[in-house]
Parts: sequence; structure tokens; C-alpha cells
Amino acid sequence: MAPIPGRPAASPRPGCRSRGVPGRELVAPTVVAILGALAYLAFPDDLAFFTRIIVAALFVMSLDLVVGYCGVATLGHAVLYGAGAYAAGILCVDGLTDPLLLIAAGSVAGVVAGLVTALVILRAHGLPQLVLSIAVVQLAYEAANKARDITGGSDGLSGISPGPVFGLFEFDLWGRTAYVLALVLLIATLVVLRRVVRSPFGLLCRGIKQDPDRIRAIGGTIYGNLVKMYALSGAVAGLAGGLTAVTTGVVGLDSVSFEWSAEALVMLVLGGAGTLYGALVGAVVFTGFEHYVAAVDPYHWLFVVGALLIGVVLALPAGLGSLAAWLRRLLPQGAP
Amino acid sequence: MTAALEVQSLCRSFDGIVVADNISLSLAAGDRVALIGPNGAGKTTFVNLVTGTLKPDAGRILLAGVDVTAVSDVERVRRGLVRTFQITRLFPDMTVHEHLMLALLQRAEKTGRLFASLDSFKDAGAEADDLIAQLGLAPVADVKVRALAYGHQRLVEIAIAVALKPKVLLLDEPAAGIPHDEVLRIIEALERLPADLAILMIEHDMDLVFRFAERVIVLAAGKIVCQGTPEEVGRDPAVRAVYLGSYASRDRDALGPGPTVGRGRA
Repeated sequence: MAPIPGRPAASPRPGCRSRGVPGRELVAPTVVAILGALAYLAFPDDLAFFTRIIVAALFVMSLDLVVGYCGVATLGHAVLYGAGAYAAGILCVDGLTDPLLLIAAGSVAGVVAGLVTALVILRAHGLPQLVLSIAVVQLAYEAANKARDITGGSDGLSGISPGPVFGLFEFDLWGRTAYVLALVLLIATLVVLRRVVRSPFGLLCRGIKQDPDRIRAIGGTIYGNLVKMYALSGAVAGLAGGLTAVTTGVVGLDSVSFEWSAEALVMLVLGGAGTLYGALVGAVVFTGFEHYVAAVDPYHWLFVVGALLIGVVLALPAGLGSLAAWLRRLLPQGAP
Repeated sequence: MTAALEVQSLCRSFDGIVVADNISLSLAAGDRVALIGPNGAGKTTFVNLVTGTLKPDAGRILLAGVDVTAVSDVERVRRGLVRTFQITRLFPDMTVHEHLMLALLQRAEKTGRLFASLDSFKDAGAEADDLIAQLGLAPVADVKVRALAYGHQRLVEIAIAVALKPKVLLLDEPAAGIPHDEVLRIIEALERLPADLAILMIEHDMDLVFRFAERVIVLAAGKIVCQGTPEEVGRDPAVRAVYLGSYASRDRDALGPGPTVGRGRA
């Protein structure tokens, strides 16, 4: 390790490894950028599938903010995602065609949906909270179903045809523009969220998750800070929803469904909660299984996912993402 | 001079069982007071009433002369009333340094900052390192507290309280559960606390009480039965009666089932 500017070369604290190392927070986004570029070059025919993975990854990261970092129990997170997807889709059908504006609108809709959800479900804790979150997603689902004049109901919302990105890059048949746009948004989101979880606010939220009463005893409030995290989570989920509307051109009722919420939770548990990159790993593994195993055996692929989930929860309670940390410990440490 | 903490006629009962019976006491800045009493005397209930996690049935609590009886527990902390916990209440997945950063940033009302890196708060970082060094925790500064020895965890509890720069500190059995030879480290830590801080310590360990406190208040069945210097209290027959389980003397018939006896070394 090179001497760190602004600190004495010899660390005054033995055992201090992670604090104050500049550039550390850019490692994960760089890895994602490299993998993303490799995927683009190696599998040019699968870009639509990779875009779907990125959308799932954004959504699961958004869920990680409230579940993994704040300890909120929710099976209704698709409300935030669906709000973004419908907002972008409806605005596009109504004539707003700039894809970035549409995605931004989706993000704003996600914030609003996040605030509304937070006001309801943060009133309870544990099991009642989980049930409230299911109630919220079912209500949203029915509302979207009934409002078929604007949402298309069970037929889905179609006719979403956004213009070119920056007026230059048309959405092409191979999904290249869509993929690059999604990858850039993923990397940007990852940079921002890693910053947030390492901020004073992120530290406070970790404390709230572990012992809210202790946070009160140092003078911190709970409710307002959780609502704030929910709004941020809504911004990311809404961004994912807006991205899917823009890149696929359709929004279905499944985007506000209980099933989609539950799948996101499965992905988060698979990959590991409370790390952000676990959300990425979970989204890649789950969506990959869905894509490849379901192609081989469309009737039993969930069986395989179920077995994998049981295996992960029992053998790697911190998720597949913890494999990386485990491997890193096996490797020889870098020079001190 | 206004008292740092003043408790006036505090009463509280649960289902008809009185756990705080007309308790009044007053702490000035710099006071070192111990609250002792057998198990079940209502000591922790009293702390919860003062900090605001429990609401009293009657009575008033004043901080620096201001009535805070109706003020929330969080707001009382912000006004300088801080407690530690009898059973360590720390965040298992945070390092010692992170605990202190959290407390320091909360005191500075900076925990709402979303996009600032923790490392950019150099003053707080340096203050955290100072506190860690003062309490001899430097070797474990970057260890998650779940991996710490209990004695170290107790020191972290004290460090968090100090980081909040309280005016009144309620120490709920700071030496509970640690081996006797490590109590010395707790005592050293307590003796280094700021001189103008008003401290109310709840404690079973009589060595610690006698060493630390200038004034001792004895609580039994929710009632103050005696107070004075440690020596006066040690001589008081009422206190002996409470601790030795003899209820033959005056005022003892309301005690109900006997407290755990024989732990006191008074």
C-alpha cells in the first residue's frame, strides 16, 4: 500500500485497512464497466437480455437500500419500480420522447411512490410491515389494472417509442443503444450509491437497522431518516422502471406486481444484502438462470432456482456476493 | 446556580405496582452521585423515566432549569442528557471508530449528509481517534464490536457517551458483567470524564461506588430510603436492612418479594 497523502506513512493504528484509502469506492464501478464492455463485445446478440439484467440490478440495488441498509421488511417494492415504468411510458405515449427526460420522470415518479409507500409501511415493524407492503403493492396493481385507459390494463401499455438519446443515438434493433444507456446509468448509480452508503447518512442507517433504540439514545431520529432513504430508493427503482419502459417499449402490469417484488427480494438474498454489489450478483445469477435454464426446461427452472436459494441461504448466509470476500481472504495479501 | 438535572416527585407504576414512588433528586454540574439499591429497586426504571423512554405518571424533570417532562427522548439527548446501557447496546457490525464517528457526527447534526464521504470529516475523525486513544482502545479501533471482549465493549459505551459531550450523564451499571480485575480500567475511564459533567451512576459494585461517588442515594421499592456520603450510607442501618434482606426495621414492609441478597459488599 502506497503512503496515503495527508496521513503519516506509518499508520498509527495497526489493523486499519479500509479507512481513508482514496479511490477505493471506484473499484466496483470500474469492475462493472469492464465486465459490461466485455459482455458487449463477446455477446452482441444478447444485448437485450443484458439490458434486462441491468434493469433488475438497479431495482435490486434500490431494494438493498431499504432492506439491506435499513432493515425494512418489504415485499412491495415493485410499486416504486412500476410508478417509474408507467410514468415514463405514459409520458412517452403522450408525446414526450426524449429518453433521458423520460427516465428522469420515471425516477421522480419513483420518489413519489417511495414517499407514499414509506408513509404507510414505516408505521409498522417486522411482520405487520411485510403485510402492509404486500397490501400496498396489491392496491397499486389493482389501480393500474382498473385505470386501463391510461395504463392499458392487463394488455399492457404499448406504443412507447422514444426518440434518439441526445438526439443522436437511435434505439436500434440489436439493442446496442439501450444496452450502453443502461450500462452507463448502472455505473453512475453505483458510484452515487456507494458514496451514499459510506456517508454519515449511510452510517446512521446501518445503526438504525441494527438497533433503532440505540440511535435514539445518541440523539438520532428514525422515521424521517427512513423516509429519506425510501425516497432515494424510489429514485433508483423509478429509474430502473423508466429505463425498462424506454428500452423495451412496453410496460405491463407485472411491473407493479407482488411477484416482481418477491423476485427482487430473492435476488437480493441470493447475492447478499447490505453490500450493493451483492444485489448485482443476485440479479445476474437469477436473471441468467431465468434466461438459460428456462430455455432448456421452461417448467422446472424455478425448481433449480429454489434449490440454489436453499443452498445459498444455508451455506452462504451472506449471499453469493460473499464468495468474493471469501476468495479474497484465500489469496495472499498485498504488500503492507 | 441552576441544577444540571432536577427530578421532582417522580411517580410511575405498572399495573398497580409502584416502581417510582415520589423520587426527587438534584444534580449540579460536576456532581458524582451513585444510585444504588437491590435488584428490582427501580433503578433502571428511574433511568428510563429520566431519559424519556418511559413516561412518568406524575412529577417533573428539569434540565438546566428547563422542564423537559413533555420533551421526547431524542430531544433530551440533544439537550445534553445522555445515558449508557446496563447491557451493552452497540452496533455489532460497526467498528469502534465507526461508533464514535456516528456519535460525533450526530452531535454535530451531520448524519443527514448523503453525499459526503465519512473520510472527509477530518475533525470528527481526529476527535474519534483521540477518544479511542484516551480509553486505550487504539489497538481495536478498526475491529467490529461483535468481535470485542466485553470489557472493551463497555469502554465503547462510555466513549460514545463522552463523544456526545453531555451535560448530564446517566451511567447504568458501567461495570456490569466484567471481571473484577478489569473494573479498574472502567474506573480510570470514569475518572477522566470532564470535571464539569454531572454524573449519576447506577451500580452494584460497591468498590466502584465508594471510589467514584461523593454522594450515594439508596433506592428500594421505587423509593429513596437514604442518601448521604458513601460513609454515611454504609453505616445506615436502613441500607444494611435493604441489602441484607432484613425487613424488620422501619418502612421495610412495602418491599414485597425480597431483593437478591448478599451481592452488596457495603
